[in-house]
Amino acid sequence: MEQPDYLIDLLKERNERAFSKLYMMYSEAIFGIIYSIVLDEDIAEEVLQDVFIKIWDNASSYDNTKGRFFTWILNIARNSAIDKTRSKSFKNSKKNLSTTNFVDILSSSDNLNKKTNAIGLKKFVDKLKPVCISIIDLLFFKGFTQKDAAEKLEMPLGTLKTRNRNCLSDLRLIVLGPQ
Amino acid sequence: MTEQELIASGKLELYVCGSLPENEVQEVEDAIAQYPNLKKEIEIIESSLIQLAEGVAPPLSAMVWTYILNSIKNVRNITKETSDTTNWKAISGWAAAILLLCGLFYFLNENNALQEELEITTTETNNVKEQLEDVTEQKIKTETILADIRSEAFTPISLPGNQNVAPEAKAKIFYNKDQQVAYIDTKELPTPPRGKVYQVWSLIMEPLTPTSMGLLDEASLVDTGLYKLENFPEAEGFGITLEPEGGSETPTLSQLYVLGTVNTAP
Repeated sequence: MEQPDYLIDLLKERNERAFSKLYMMYSEAIFGIIYSIVLDEDIAEEVLQDVFIKIWDNASSYDNTKGRFFTWILNIARNSAIDKTRSKSFKNSKKNLSTTNFVDILSSSDNLNKKTNAIGLKKFVDKLKPVCISIIDLLFFKGFTQKDAAEKLEMPLGTLKTRNRNCLSDLRLIVLGPQ
Repeated sequence: MTEQELIASGKLELYVCGSLPENEVQEVEDAIAQYPNLKKEIEIIESSLIQLAEGVAPPLSAMVWTYILNSIKNVRNITKETSDTTNWKAISGWAAAILLLCGLFYFLNENNALQEELEITTTETNNVKEQLEDVTEQKIKTETILADIRSEAFTPISLPGNQNVAPEAKAKIFYNKDQQVAYIDTKELPTPPRGKVYQVWSLIMEPLTPTSMGLLDEASLVDTGLYKLENFPEAEGFGITLEPEGGSETPTLSQLYVLGTVNTAP
């Protein structure tokens, strides 16, 4: 997907229509990221609201020469969700989240109403090696830096990078079809 | 690093995930500028990750967007109000308060000043009233005296100056024989020196017996230069001497200023 820079420029000028279009483009993915961290639909909705309000408020600080817009909002979402899991009220109501990852969520999901190729995704994650699950979980869903992820998984940085690429290569086939 | 090397390195995936350190992000950015095809590769990676994340998302309620929209509208309204309208309200409110305070102080001062002025005026009015009363009283007194002096009951007696002591001096007495009242007009008597006072004597001629009638002082003064003395023995003549303050038992004849006799003629 090409980055909609014209919409982002309009967003910086506080254009509501542009904001609405960007919400339609990115909200579901961001919601998925948040949900994979907080594992509660109501709390995830709350965090999603906060994230998009932050995007609206801080749009001017996004610089498209320093990364993708998706990466920028991805960071906001992960940080907000992780902050939420550290809050007192959250800790009191939830326990032991770390064992659940995106594969568990996808496997147990019966939601077929979305635009995403859910069946394809299920096939994809069913075939994923355990190491791939850990790598994608840490780098994409949890927002680890490459250095922290390499340390956590006890593998050299170069290995982590190429493995991550290989792990994701099947995913692009599902998304784009064979090329 | 060539285009293909960069793709194979797995850096682009990490770039999209946001896991690269800042200097490597810059490296990727520079490479994108150099090789436009890299952008396509990055877009494919991003799309696959977005699809994966979307697969994880539970159904998303439309209420979330409604809430977000309301929030940003509220924030915008609040900022508008605080930056424009409320500020003016606050400014005008403060201005009004300050004006009111200034006004209060002004009126307080003004009120105090007026109060003082009123007090002064009241005092002045009272003074004038008192003066008027004094004048009225004096007028009545003077009229009474004038009526007395003009009446038949009072006999005018001239007291010429004693040639040896005060040849220029002169006095006049209006004498009521029946009531033993006398008015002494001292208009042409010199002002007594300090520490001295005029004393009036009634005289019986045969033998010459002076009796003090009183002092010409504040107590006997009834009008300008006019004194009233009462309750003295019947007189055949009058003399006025200069005596030390407080008066004397007997007249100091060396200081006899004026002397005159009652006209016994009809």
